[in-house]
Amino acid sequence: MIEALDVSRDFGSKTVVSGLDLEVPGGTIHALLGPNGAGKTTILRMLAGLTSPTEGTVRVLDGDPALREIRAHIGWIPSGDRSFYLRLSGRENLVFFARLYGMSLRTARERTDELLEKVDLVEAARQPARLYSHGMQKRLVIARGLLTDPPVLIVDEATHDLDPVSAKNVRALITEASSSGAAVVWATQRLEEIRSFAHDVTVLGRGDVRFSGGVDELVKRALSRTYEIQLVNGSTPLPLIASNLVGLAELSEHPFYADRLLLHLGSGTALSDVFQGIERAGAKVHSCAEARSDIEEAFLHLTAEDNDD
Amino acid sequence: MTNAGVGGTSELSKLLAFVRRDVLVLLSYRLAFLADIANLAFQSVTFYFVSLMVNPATMPEYGGTTASYMAFVGIGIAFGAFMQIGLGRVVSAIRNEQVLGTLESLFMTPTRPLTLQVGLVVYDLIYVPARTGIFLTIVMGVFGVRFDPGAVAPALAVLLLFIPMVWGLGMLGAGAVLTFRRGGGIVGFVGAAVSVASGAYFPLDLLPERLTAILALSPVAVAFDAARRTLIGGEGWTEINGELIYLGVSAIVSLAIGLWAVRAAILRERRMGTLSHY
Repeated sequence: MIEALDVSRDFGSKTVVSGLDLEVPGGTIHALLGPNGAGKTTILRMLAGLTSPTEGTVRVLDGDPALREIRAHIGWIPSGDRSFYLRLSGRENLVFFARLYGMSLRTARERTDELLEKVDLVEAARQPARLYSHGMQKRLVIARGLLTDPPVLIVDEATHDLDPVSAKNVRALITEASSSGAAVVWATQRLEEIRSFAHDVTVLGRGDVRFSGGVDELVKRALSRTYEIQLVNGSTPLPLIASNLVGLAELSEHPFYADRLLLHLGSGTALSDVFQGIERAGAKVHSCAEARSDIEEAFLHLTAEDNDD
Repeated sequence: MTNAGVGGTSELSKLLAFVRRDVLVLLSYRLAFLADIANLAFQSVTFYFVSLMVNPATMPEYGGTTASYMAFVGIGIAFGAFMQIGLGRVVSAIRNEQVLGTLESLFMTPTRPLTLQVGLVVYDLIYVPARTGIFLTIVMGVFGVRFDPGAVAPALAVLLLFIPMVWGLGMLGAGAVLTFRRGGGIVGFVGAAVSVASGAYFPLDLLPERLTAILALSPVAVAFDAARRTLIGGEGWTEINGELIYLGVSAIVSLAIGLWAVRAAILRERRMGTLSHY
């Protein structure tokens, strides 16, 4: 349903997106994950036909998304609040946009009421949009994106700044659309939300694709160099042990277990060297296990150079 | 998947949606609406007192009838109002949508660019003639100005050619706003300059002879002059035949340039990826 083939986008001399390949079939949610400035919004705008690629091809529903016929079937959910007529009520805003999608006034009203209920805005439906909170405006944007029950949904930071319950509800709406066969591209910075929500993920860093594949595969890519250790002599002061590991590793308290420590290995350091250092401090390693690979570690690893700036 | 209309019929109903939207917005600004009507009355009174100071001997003749200043300026203001929609409102409406953040959402709907352009000002296209009607009623009813009733049809023909002509210029301005963001100021200046230099408020004969000759070629000046010749001088179709052809050709050229400008601006914005920037 959504295809991008070797897509690049330059703004002047700056390359914002480079060599992007993407294929999102119906019924799947593809997350675009990356820090600020990674090129997520630019990719979404190209998929929505609002920006043309400098190189490469974008196809949505087998056509150019810039064409009206194709655009009619794309649900566009932008990240900003400012996309409504502030003097009009939320309901009237939706009715207006529904009519621009070709619905009669009656159908537009019915569909609007249906969606307002879905996004839990029935009580605020007749309030001017200018009185809506950030979260309410987000929900209104999502309702507008779902007006035509589109087979393609392009969603930019839909849960950004939302409270956990609202964010969960928004994800449930998108999951429902995806389960009904919609192809969804979902840009986010929130790592935790892609697990058990998205099927595939593209990790971006400075416009480059750092990873593309299944979410589970991304987790496996985490190259952890962090270990959980338990000491035989747990009373040895942490600073004393740490002073024997200078240049080799760093030690920190485990965030959840009082009897364990986290060991962060320096580049090229062998574990045996670290164990010897611990013994010099008068303690002994009872157990050592690699800290569980985490999606966050994978993300941080893949976008490491961006985060160093 | 709900049907998402892209057909011609739905494009017409989209215009109604724009009208409905703007009426709802207007209802949320009731005071502004009343202020506009009051402003119209004050404008009529102002020009009435200006007319008392104008020496009738300086006023031009149309079809053997010397125009009163009130009749002269009344036509100038009435036509000028349509020029303001064509030239200024398209531009300011696009700019307004850009600032409000709704332009991108409008473009994401399967609506033709031309429907969007018309839709953004369709309410004005209904309101301004009504407003002009109120103005002319005040001018005729309160200040005793008389227009030739038999000249209404040719005068309307002039108006119907005048509107697409200025509309084309407005689209050119809209293209400039999309491209340069701050084009609205330039367009406003051009609109004011055209109003003054086309004889909306005073006869062009008062200007230096060479300048008058050049300005008289402006299609806007031609439209103003033709409307006055019909409504004040009672001239008919035959007498303004040449002016109608001139205005028709100007309208075609202007619309062609305007449509090209908007299309080029939208394509450029897509290429640049800056449609929502303002």
